[in-house]
Amino acid sequence: MDDKNTIEEKIRKETLVRKAVSVDPNAAKAGPSTIQMTDGVLIPKKGEKHILTSWRLTFFGALVLSAILIVFFPDPYRQIFRTCLRGLPVTFEVTIFSIIGAVIIGTFTGLGSVSKRRWINMICGVYVELIRGIPLLVQLIFIYYAVGRFFHVEGLVAAIFSLSVCFGAYMGEIVRAGIQAIPKGQMEAAIALGLSRSQAFRYIILPQTVKVILPAIGNEFISMLKDSSLVSVLSLEDILRCGRMYISRTFLSLETMLVVALIYLIITLVLSRLVGVLEERLHKNG
Amino acid sequence: MAKIEIKDLSKDYTTPNGVLHAVKHANLTVNDGEVVVIIGPSGSGKSTLLRCVNALETATAGHILIDGIDVTAPGTDIRQIREEVGMVFQSFNLFPHLTVLENITLAPMKVKKMDKAEAEELARQLLKRVGLSDKADVHPTQLSGGQQQRVAIARSLAMKPKAMLFDEPTSALDPEMIKEVLDVMTDLAREGMTMLLVTHEMGFAKAAADKVIFMDNGEILEEGTPEKMFTSPENPRTIDFLNHIL
Ligand SMILES: Nc1ncnc2c1ncn2[C@@H]1O[C@H](COP(=O)(O)OP(=O)(O)OP(=O)(O)O)[C@@H](O)[C@H]1O
Ligand SMILES: [Mg+2]
Repeated sequence: MDDKNTIEEKIRKETLVRKAVSVDPNAAKAGPSTIQMTDGVLIPKKGEKHILTSWRLTFFGALVLSAILIVFFPDPYRQIFRTCLRGLPVTFEVTIFSIIGAVIIGTFTGLGSVSKRRWINMICGVYVELIRGIPLLVQLIFIYYAVGRFFHVEGLVAAIFSLSVCFGAYMGEIVRAGIQAIPKGQMEAAIALGLSRSQAFRYIILPQTVKVILPAIGNEFISMLKDSSLVSVLSLEDILRCGRMYISRTFLSLETMLVVALIYLIITLVLSRLVGVLEERLHKNG
Repeated sequence: MAKIEIKDLSKDYTTPNGVLHAVKHANLTVNDGEVVVIIGPSGSGKSTLLRCVNALETATAGHILIDGIDVTAPGTDIRQIREEVGMVFQSFNLFPHLTVLENITLAPMKVKKMDKAEAEELARQLLKRVGLSDKADVHPTQLSGGQQQRVAIARSLAMKPKAMLFDEPTSALDPEMIKEVLDVMTDLAREGMTMLLVTHEMGFAKAAADKVIFMDNGEILEEGTPEKMFTSPENPRTIDFLNHIL
């Protein structure tokens, strides 16, 4: 009886120690890793032959098909290309400004989620949950109307604002994961030197976080470019809307949508390659 | 330079399996200019005790006085304490995105508002002192473990601390690099720095320590001069532990 008790006691202690050891803040940890959050864009890197090959196949396939259409079927394809490409500036404008907005919102949300203040965590958490739980299109239209009704801003600004808010939540999660990927010892060393927590974030944690999350931001940029096509419902003349306006004039629906798809595909593929190159550079520079 | 008094200090952690008493009623004094070495088996609470001194962990009960100022009192400016008490970690914790020089100048510039030229001058002096003058402009990842730890010591010294804490500064190092770090620490001890450290380098303890503390299970079980502790320890757990590691 006595024996059994001590053995049980021993086992209990052992597991207690083991469990606790796993949260020992002094445990040497591996360096920061890269955070990947993507909705499926495959970014080809040099090492991954098969992805690079399939990237090439798709990219050149799309180019060749576009060339064939333009050269051998100038009517109606030349006209369709010309019309749809008129939406390019709006698409890029919306994408670039929205991603900047999303990064700014995301940085604050990310910092808020790792804050020591409970109520700030709560606000950020609710924001993220809210955005994640509502379809992008619904949010977009809702925020667009809300902003339009209360601030009387022009459509482009309202669209950029809505996309920023929607993507800001995902960006916040990326920033949070990035901050948490930085070894705990970094914060401790900074604080032990007498820096305040906010100084430590500014000079030590965030600069390292940027490196870790840059590829993920690149991915978001690509997603944003594709999802920016949703603003066509807000009567902004982006690529998709230009295409649909052309359809309503000519009823060439299939032909036009083929061209719209090709344009998006080519841009997306170029961007994903660029992000891949960027990431390689980043790794090379340590 | 500074006197560290630890009075009846306890630290509990709440874990999923209940409360864990990491440190139990510890009492310890490090007098001005003294070097005190803490030894003990893994999980005995050595790091926790050390980390309470500069408030990286908040003590559950008890007091820590540094030159009479109570670290655990609610109104105390903890950042001021941390400026005055340097800490060196087992895993170096250098900032990888900054150069060696920037690692050292950051805190003096941001915390003490020292101007850049002065901070760099100070950093170069410190690098010379730890024998790494030629490494000012490289990034920490390009250094060996021993070199990194020496930079970490220089980084701490740049704040001109009154006392230094070391948590197993040589445990992560290859044997051939341990000496270069211990040499720097021995110099510091000779210059009269108040030092509280966790280390199992018995050679260092014998050469530099005024006092050796043995901890087990969160309790300080025995303390004495290095000669006494290593040649004629009294507590059976100390004897057992020393038999294991010597
Ligand atoms: N943040 C934490 N949360 C919960 N338990 C912890 C935490 N930090 C340490 N502990 C536990 O407190 C006890 C004392 O840990 P501590 O790190 O002080 O031991 P140590 O003597 O430094 O050991 P080692 O020689 O392995 O470094 C251990 O059981 C450890 O698992
Ligand atoms: Mg320890």
